[in-house]
Amino acid sequence: MVALPWGRGTERDATGDRSERARLTILALVVFVMLAAVASLGTGAAGVSLGDVLAKWITGEALSLRERVVLFDIRLPRLLTGMLVGASLAVSGAVMQGLFRNPLADPGIVGVGAGAGLGAVLAIVLGAFLPPAVLAFTGMHLVPLAAFFGGWATTLILYRVSTRAGRTSVATMLLAGIALGALSGALTGILVYIADDQQLRDLTFWGLGSLAGASWAKLAAAAPIMMLALLAAPMLARALNGLALGEGAAAHLGIAVQRMKNLAILTVAAATGAAVAVSGGIGFIGIVVPHLLRLVMGPDHRFLLPAAALLGAGLLLLADIISRLIIAPAELPIGIVTAVLGGPVFLWILLRRRGIVDM
Amino acid sequence: MLEARDISVTLGRKQVLYGAGLRAKPGATTVIVGPNGSGKTTLLRAITGDLACRGSVWLDREDMRALPPHALAECRAVLPQASVLAFPFTVHEVVRLGLTGRIALRPDAAQLPARALDRVGLAGYGGRFFQELSGGEQARAQLARVLLQVWEPVQDGVPRWLFLDEPVAALDIGHQLQVMYLARRFAQQGGGVVAVMHDLNLTAMFADHVMLMLDGRVLAQGAVREVLTEQNLSRAYGCRLRVSSPPAQGATYILPQAAEIA
Ligand SMILES: Nc1ncnc2c1ncn2[C@@H]1O[C@H](COP(=O)(O)OP(=O)(O)OP(=O)(O)O)[C@@H](O)[C@H]1O
Ligand SMILES: [Mg+2]
Repeated sequence: MVALPWGRGTERDATGDRSERARLTILALVVFVMLAAVASLGTGAAGVSLGDVLAKWITGEALSLRERVVLFDIRLPRLLTGMLVGASLAVSGAVMQGLFRNPLADPGIVGVGAGAGLGAVLAIVLGAFLPPAVLAFTGMHLVPLAAFFGGWATTLILYRVSTRAGRTSVATMLLAGIALGALSGALTGILVYIADDQQLRDLTFWGLGSLAGASWAKLAAAAPIMMLALLAAPMLARALNGLALGEGAAAHLGIAVQRMKNLAILTVAAATGAAVAVSGGIGFIGIVVPHLLRLVMGPDHRFLLPAAALLGAGLLLLADIISRLIIAPAELPIGIVTAVLGGPVFLWILLRRRGIVDM
Repeated sequence: MLEARDISVTLGRKQVLYGAGLRAKPGATTVIVGPNGSGKTTLLRAITGDLACRGSVWLDREDMRALPPHALAECRAVLPQASVLAFPFTVHEVVRLGLTGRIALRPDAAQLPARALDRVGLAGYGGRFFQELSGGEQARAQLARVLLQVWEPVQDGVPRWLFLDEPVAALDIGHQLQVMYLARRFAQQGGGVVAVMHDLNLTAMFADHVMLMLDGRVLAQGAVREVLTEQNLSRAYGCRLRVSSPPAQGATYILPQAAEIA
C-alpha cells in the first residue's frame, strides 16, 4: 500500500515509460478494492459473519431476516457509500492538484470541504425558504446539490485569488484556503445555532465525519453527483497533463484550456460536495492517495485518476473497518481514523518535499 | 505563408507592440532579433495566440486566431522562452506530451519520443526526471517535445510551423549548431520556422529572412545582408557594432580583436 519499495523512482526503467507499471498498479488496486469490499461486508457489531452467509447461500438455505437487514440495509449501503466517497475524495484531490499545478492542493485543506459543508447546512436550515418549484425539482438531491454549489463557489474564489496569469502562488492558495475555511466554518456555526429541533435532527442525519449513518436514501441522493464527477474526471486527464507545462504550453498542445479549467473546478466541487454531504469532512484521502500513486507510477493523469479512484475507495473502506473494530461495539468517526493515518503521511510528504525544486 | 499584420499589444498599462508585422515563408528560417525588451517574445506570443492583440494573423489565407486549439496544434508547435513543470515527470513523459493529434495514431507512435530525444542529442535520457536535468538539457528536452508535435514538416501537403523563442540561449556551442541545423532541416523539408534569437552570428549563418525589432516596432526586415548592417545594428543595440565578412578564399583577414590601439 505504501509505496516505499519504489522510493523516488529508483526502479524507473531506462526508457522512462511508466505506463506499463501504471497498468499493473491499477490491476493490483482492483484486487485490493475487492478484498477491502469483502472485508467491509463481513465487519460489524451485529455479529453476522460472511462465512455463515456464504455457507447458507451455497447450501441454498434462506437467510434469516436479521442477516438480510444487516447485510443489505446496513452494510451494503455503507460499503457503496464508502467506496464512492473514497473515490470522490481522492479524485477531487488529484484533479485539484493538477489544476493548481501543486501537489499540496487538497479540497479538505484549502477550505473547499468547509465550503461544501456550509452549502449543505444552508440547504438544511434555510432550504424551506426556497421557492417550491426549486424544492420540487431538486427533491432529495437538495442537500448534496447545495454542498456542490458551496464547494464550487469556494473553488472559484480560491482559484481567482491565488492564480495570476496562469501561475498559482502556493502561499496565497493555502492562506486563502484557511481564510475561506474559517469563514465557512463560522457561518456554519451560526446556522447550526439558529436551527430548530427538526433541522438539528437532519443535520445529524447528514453526517458527522462518519459513514455510520449511511443508508440507501442518502446514497441515492448523493451517488449520481459523485458518479458524474468520477465519469467526468478521465476527460480531464490529457488537459491536466498539459497544464503541468503551464497554460500557454497546454493551449499550444491543442487543449481548450479555459473550458478544461472550468470542467476541472466543477468536477472538484461535485465530488467534494457530494462526498461531504453524505459523510462530513474526511481528511487527507485527497492529498495522500495521489501523492503515493505519483511515487509508484508517475504523475500521468491518464493513469493517476483511475488509480486514485481505486486507492481512495479501498483506503476509505479500510479506515471504515478500523473505525468499526477499534472500540467495538462502539464506533470511532472515520474522519478521526483518516486523520490519525493520513496526518503523519502528510507531514512525511512535506518533509520529503523540502529539498525538491518543484515547490 | 504566414503573415502577421499591424500587431499592437498592450500589457498592463504599457503598450509593448506598435503595429509590428511579420511575413514568413514555409521552407525558410525566419529569425527575429532585437535588444532585450524590444517585444520579440510578445510578438511571438501574439502570433501563436497566447496574447490578445490588435491586428491580424493569417496562415495561408486562414485567420489563425479563429482556429480552435486542436486545429492549431495540428499545424504549429511552440517552444516558449521559459518553461515550467509542475510534477515529477520523466523526460520520456514530457516528450510524449507532444504526441498529440493525428501523429498519436501512427503505428510507430510509441517509438517517436525516443527518436525525438535522439534528434536533440538526448538519446538515453528518457528515464531521467525532467527536473533533474541541467538547464540546457531541459531546453533540449522541451525542444524534442515540440519537434514531436510537428514531426512531419509537411502533412497532407500543408506545411507545418515551428515557433521557437530563443531555442539556443541555454545551449553550448555544439548543441547550438545541432539545434540550428535541426531547424534548417525542418525548413528544407518544407516546414516553416520562426525563431527569436540573440546570437547574431548564428542568425547570419542560418536565417533566410531576418527581422530586427526595436521598441515594439520593426526596424528592418529582409535578407541577412540588408538587415544586419552596421547602421541598423548600432542603432538597435545602442552601441557601435562592426559587421565583418570574411573575404573570398585565401585573402588575408584580420580580426578586429587583434587590432592594437595606439
Ligand atoms: N506581463 C507584462 N506586463 C507588462 N509589461 C510587460 C509584460 N511582459 C513584458 N512586458 C514588457 O514588454 C516589453 C517587451 O517584452 P518582451 O518579453 O517581448 O521582450 P523581448 O524582446 O522578448 O526581450 P528578451 O530579449 O529579454 O527576451 C518589455 O519592455 C517588457 O518589460
Ligand atoms: Mg524574449
